[in-house]
Amino acid sequence: MSKIKLMSHLVAGYPTEELSFAAASAMVRGGASILEIQLAFSDPSADGPAIQGACTEVLSHNYKVKDGLAFIERVHKAFPEVSIYLMSYGSLIYTPGVENFCKRASEAGVTGMIIPDLPFDHDEGLTAACKKYGMDNIPVASPSMSEERLSKLAHAGFKYIYAALRVGITGTQTVIDQATLDFLSKVGAGGSKVYGGFGISNGEQSKAIASSVEAVIAGSVFVRLIKENAGDKEALSKAVEAKARELCGL
Amino acid sequence: MYSDNGFFDNFGGKYVAEVLRRPLDELETAFHHYMQDPQFLAELAEIQRDYIGRETPLLYAPRATELLGGAKIYIKLEGLANTGAHKINNAIGQVLLAKHMGKKRIIAETGAGQHGVATAAACAKLGMDCTVYMGEVDVRRQQPNVASMELYGAKVVAVTSGARTLKDAVNEAMRDWAAHPDTTHYVLGSALGPAPFPDIVHHFQSVIGNEVKRQCAERGIDIGAMVACVGGGSNSIGFFSPFIDEDSPRLIGAEAGGVGPNIGENASRMTGNASREGIVQGYKSRFLLDDDGQSLPTRSISAGLDYMGIGPQLAALGMKGRIEFTSILDKEALAALNFFAKNEGVLFALESAHAGAAAMKIAKEIPKDKAIIINMSGRGDKDVFISSPVFRPNEWKNFLESELERLNENKDIHNAKIMGESK
Repeated sequence: MSKIKLMSHLVAGYPTEELSFAAASAMVRGGASILEIQLAFSDPSADGPAIQGACTEVLSHNYKVKDGLAFIERVHKAFPEVSIYLMSYGSLIYTPGVENFCKRASEAGVTGMIIPDLPFDHDEGLTAACKKYGMDNIPVASPSMSEERLSKLAHAGFKYIYAALRVGITGTQTVIDQATLDFLSKVGAGGSKVYGGFGISNGEQSKAIASSVEAVIAGSVFVRLIKENAGDKEALSKAVEAKARELCGL
Repeated sequence: MYSDNGFFDNFGGKYVAEVLRRPLDELETAFHHYMQDPQFLAELAEIQRDYIGRETPLLYAPRATELLGGAKIYIKLEGLANTGAHKINNAIGQVLLAKHMGKKRIIAETGAGQHGVATAAACAKLGMDCTVYMGEVDVRRQQPNVASMELYGAKVVAVTSGARTLKDAVNEAMRDWAAHPDTTHYVLGSALGPAPFPDIVHHFQSVIGNEVKRQCAERGIDIGAMVACVGGGSNSIGFFSPFIDEDSPRLIGAEAGGVGPNIGENASRMTGNASREGIVQGYKSRFLLDDDGQSLPTRSISAGLDYMGIGPQLAALGMKGRIEFTSILDKEALAALNFFAKNEGVLFALESAHAGAAAMKIAKEIPKDKAIIINMSGRGDKDVFISSPVFRPNEWKNFLESELERLNENKDIHNAKIMGESK
C-alpha cells in the first residue's frame, strides 16, 4: 500500500516554542505532508479539553498572534516542501481585520485557512482575502449538517473541504463505518478535495478512510503525545515521529 | 423589534462551527412555530401566572422620590418572581419549548447561578433532566446557588477549562450541545450567543416591559426614563422591549464599572475604551478583547454583570443612540443597595442595584411630573455572602467561624456555643 497523506495538527508554542518546533520537525520526519498549525484562542468552543488545555497554557505565557506567525514562518523556512494550514477562530481573524490578517498569514508561509466559526456562506470576506493572497479558505463540514446545507457547501467551489467525521468536538474516538464513508462522498460531491479527521488516533482508522480522502487529519492524538512527553524533547520527538509514521501507513 | 435574519444592524449572526448549525436552525423553526401555537401560549401563560407569580408589582417609591428631588421613582419588582429574578421568564419559556420539541434533556450555563437556579427549577417543574455548567471559580463563590440547583435535582458540573468562569461554562455547554443535538436543548440564559437565542430570550423576557407598559397606562403614569442593568442584557432588553421602536421614553442601561476604568477592572462594553467590535461565542457584538482578539478579564462585585460581551441587539441600539449606557462603580451599586433597602424596604440584587444607582444619578434630569422606572431584575437575598462581608465584616466572620466549628463538632444548633463567645 502506498503512503497515506497526513495532515497533522499542533498548537503553536505548546508546550514551549522549542518543543513545538521539535514536534513539527518530528511530524515532517514521520511523513506528514501538511501541518495544521493552531493559533491559541481564549475561547476555543469547537475544541475538546486536550486542545483547549494546550491553548490556555500557551496564552498563559503571553503568547501573541505575532509569535504564532513567527513560529509558522520558522517552520515554513525549515520545511518549505510542507504545506502549512492555519487553524484558529474568527475573533483572531476579524479583530485585526480579515484582509490584514490574511496578508500576514500568507507572508509567514500559510497556504490554507481553517476557521470553523466563520461560516462558509457568511465568512466576513475570508474566502476573498485568501484568494487575494494566494491561499485557500478550507471550510469545515460536519455530519450533522442538513442535506441541503451540506450540498450547498459541497457545490460552493472550494478547492478543499475539511470533513469532521463525527458529531461533537475534537479529541474522542471515532468509529469508521459506512455512514462515515457516505458522508465523505457527499462532502466531495461537488469536486472539492476532502480532508478527513476528528478522533483519528491509529493506523487502522487512518487506513480505513485513506482511499476516501485527499489526506487524513490527526489532531488530539498528537496534542496528547506532546503533553505526555513535554518534559523530554527526545522522547517527544520519537513518539510524535512514530505516530506520524503509523498514521502514514509506513 | 426582532432580528433581520439573525442580525441587528451589523451585530448578531450565527458564527458557529457547522456542527452547531442544524440544532440552531431547528430551534429557530420550532420557536417560530410554537409562538403561533395557541395551546403552547396558553400553557405558558398559566405557568407564568401560577408558578412564576406574574404579574410582578410596579411599586411607587415615595421616600426615594422625595430624597432624590426629581422625577417620581417607580420600581418594577421583577425580583419577586419565583426563584428570585427575571431569569425564570426565559428558563420556563425555553424548557417548555424544548419539551414540546420532544427533547429529554436540558443543559444550561450559569455565572452567578441565577440562570442555573431558574433552569433547574423550570426542569423540576416540567419534568426534564437538567445539567448546569458552571465555572469552577463561580462554584466556589456561589455555593448557595449550587445547593439550590442540586435541591431542584440538577447536576452541576464545575468547569475547569480556560478562566473557569461564565464564558468557559458557555463554551462547555456549546460542546455538550454539539455532541448531543438530538436529545438535548441548550437553554442559553442571556440575550446573546448565536441566532436565534437573542430573539428567543428577548421574546420570553418581553413580558416584563409589556407589563410595565400596561401598568403605567392603567395608572396614568407618564414615563420619562427606564433604567436597567446590563450584563448580557436579558432583563434590560425584555424591560425595554415595547419601547425600543418608539422615540420615548429615555432608555438607560447600567453596565458594571467595577473598581475603575482600566482593563481588567470592569465589564463596560458600551462605555469606556477597553471594548471593541468582535466575533466571540457565536455572535458579533461589542466585547472586551485585546488587540489580537483574545478575551480580556472582567471585574464586578456583581457576578451577573461580570461578562465580556453584550447582547447584539443592545449593542446595535446603543450604537444608534436609542439606548444610553452608563457605567456604575461597585461602590455606587452598594450605596444604592443601602439607599433602597433603608428608604423603601426593597432589597435589590447587586446587579439590579446598578440600575438603582443610575436612576439616582439622573433623577433630577427628569421633570417631577414624570416617572423613572427602575427594573429590580432580582432581589438581594442571594447576595448575603457578598454583601455581608462588606456591610458587617466582623459579625459575618464570627458567624462563619462558629458555624464551621458547630458542623465540625456535629452539634445541633441549640447546643452550639453562643456566637463570638470566646472572643
